[in-house]
Amino acid sequence: MVFDPPYETVLKPFGQALVELAERRPDLVCLGADLTRQTETDLFRDTFPERFFNVGMAEANAVGIAGGLARAGHTVFFATFGVFATRRCYDQIAMAVAYPGLNVKIIGFMPGLSSPGGPSHQAIDDVALMRTLPNMTVVDVADATETRQAVRAIADHPGPVYLRLKRGEIPQIFDGRHEFSLAEAQVVVSGRDVVLIGSGMMLAATLAAARTLRTHDIDAAVLNVPVIKPLDTQTLLSSCRRARAVITAENHTVIGGLGSAVAETLAEHGGPPLARVGIEDRFAESGSRAYLFSRYGLTVQRIVDEAWRMVGPAGSPPVAADISVDADGYAPV
Amino acid sequence: MQLRDLATQIKLDALAMISIEGFGYLGQALSAAEQFAVLFGDVMRHGTDRFVLSPGHYAVVFYAAMAEMGLLDRSALLDYGRDGALLEAISTERTPGLDLTCGSLGQGLSGAVGLALADRLKGEDRRTFAFLSDGEMEEGQVWEAAMFAAHHHLSSLAVVLDANGSQVDGPISSVTTVEPLTSKWRAFSWHVQEVDGHDIGALQDAFAKAALAGSPSVIIARTEIHGRLHSIPSSADGHFLKLTEVLTQAIRAELLQGQESSNGV
Repeated sequence: MVFDPPYETVLKPFGQALVELAERRPDLVCLGADLTRQTETDLFRDTFPERFFNVGMAEANAVGIAGGLARAGHTVFFATFGVFATRRCYDQIAMAVAYPGLNVKIIGFMPGLSSPGGPSHQAIDDVALMRTLPNMTVVDVADATETRQAVRAIADHPGPVYLRLKRGEIPQIFDGRHEFSLAEAQVVVSGRDVVLIGSGMMLAATLAAARTLRTHDIDAAVLNVPVIKPLDTQTLLSSCRRARAVITAENHTVIGGLGSAVAETLAEHGGPPLARVGIEDRFAESGSRAYLFSRYGLTVQRIVDEAWRMVGPAGSPPVAADISVDADGYAPV
Repeated sequence: MQLRDLATQIKLDALAMISIEGFGYLGQALSAAEQFAVLFGDVMRHGTDRFVLSPGHYAVVFYAAMAEMGLLDRSALLDYGRDGALLEAISTERTPGLDLTCGSLGQGLSGAVGLALADRLKGEDRRTFAFLSDGEMEEGQVWEAAMFAAHHHLSSLAVVLDANGSQVDGPISSVTTVEPLTSKWRAFSWHVQEVDGHDIGALQDAFAKAALAGSPSVIIARTEIHGRLHSIPSSADGHFLKLTEVLTQAIRAELLQGQESSNGV
């Protein structure tokens, strides 16, 4: 089901999937906000120029136009960076898209600390913002396979969706047998002791952490939760019921995202102790992915440390196994 | 019904609705009744053209116009603003008969642009009329939408802008002025007309010219929040009028008197 790291990468899985979908779906239109190549929508623009509208640096207006187009029967994809797609136009998304429950798919690229551009470009709170809106579905996919499948799934889903996507080289973590679902989370690795719950760019880190833990006699499960809202509480609770600890890992502030959603469910239904790995309650800075993920705790080692603290024997936690990676490959930090 | 009578009837309906609670958005009806009368009684092709009500607190004028045109059951008017009523004081997604409305101001034009764009994609002969108020011009999104509409030459889009110069905190000129409106819209490459918004004939002429413009068109309707009624004290807060029984009767009498004298001509 999953490949071994380092993972091979592909380019523009979203952009290609969108074009393939648009060939079958004449109702589909795409809006941009001056980041066309960066959001892989240059493929759509060049294939369907009459259905592509570059609104420019005016996200509030873009969301309003998206709402109008959707009211008239279109399925609208609006792609820009996640920060601008959510923070800049929150009221517009709430009133022009979420409240009327319109068929608008907001695609936010460069999640969390995957942007080198500092706090202005780092969407560390986008999941939290979108998750609070009634009618909104929130998706944070882990790899190219999920990305392609998610494009089709969200287009078929009637109603607003926020889809968070990594920019650039996209790892291939799941093989072709993987089935992305808007309804169900997947147990990717089974295990008794601790459940590692990941979404988006942190799924690879949870898989690597589970591998290290298993070599040190801790049986770690990995639960893939690409759909943060609505949360598949059934799979979550059934996979956590017998575990001694649960750890969430997200490329996002620990407030309001995956960790919070899991905490709410476990608090209401009962469950083992929980630790949330993610960005603590602070803004980050500019830097490379490796630098920022290390500095702000979005690492395999951090997940291993938390698991060891909660369910491991006394003594220092093991060092996470190094994953050698060449220039084209992808590995978690 | 003559459009002048329709406008008066809209004002009388609004007065009846606002007097239920004794306060509310009557000033908006008094400033915009002629614009709604011309739009709903003359210009718009019902069932074909689209109508966007950007400032949702003008809903009272919309309800009255719809009822007068037979598009809404008159009995619903008397529930206006009550708990659980279909006709809410600020229009919502539940409001019947609207293509789009906003309570959070400054968003309606973007939605209207989206509707007009969809009509162009489908090749449909529809016009989109967006009603905006001048206070909304303080929101930057209005100008983002204006820029986009001009860039795409959305000539099926017409804005009627109720320029009554009033916002919550008082005269717009005392808060942050939006003037000069005409040259601002012109600078955004729109077809601009500035008319007396209480003059039915001038509004009709303006809509006729707007239909022929090769670009998006705005009609700046210069109006007064008290609707030029002498019965309302000049010191009254027109944005959110408080009505006493005496004032309600006085406004009603003045409106009826105006109707009789115009019918006598």
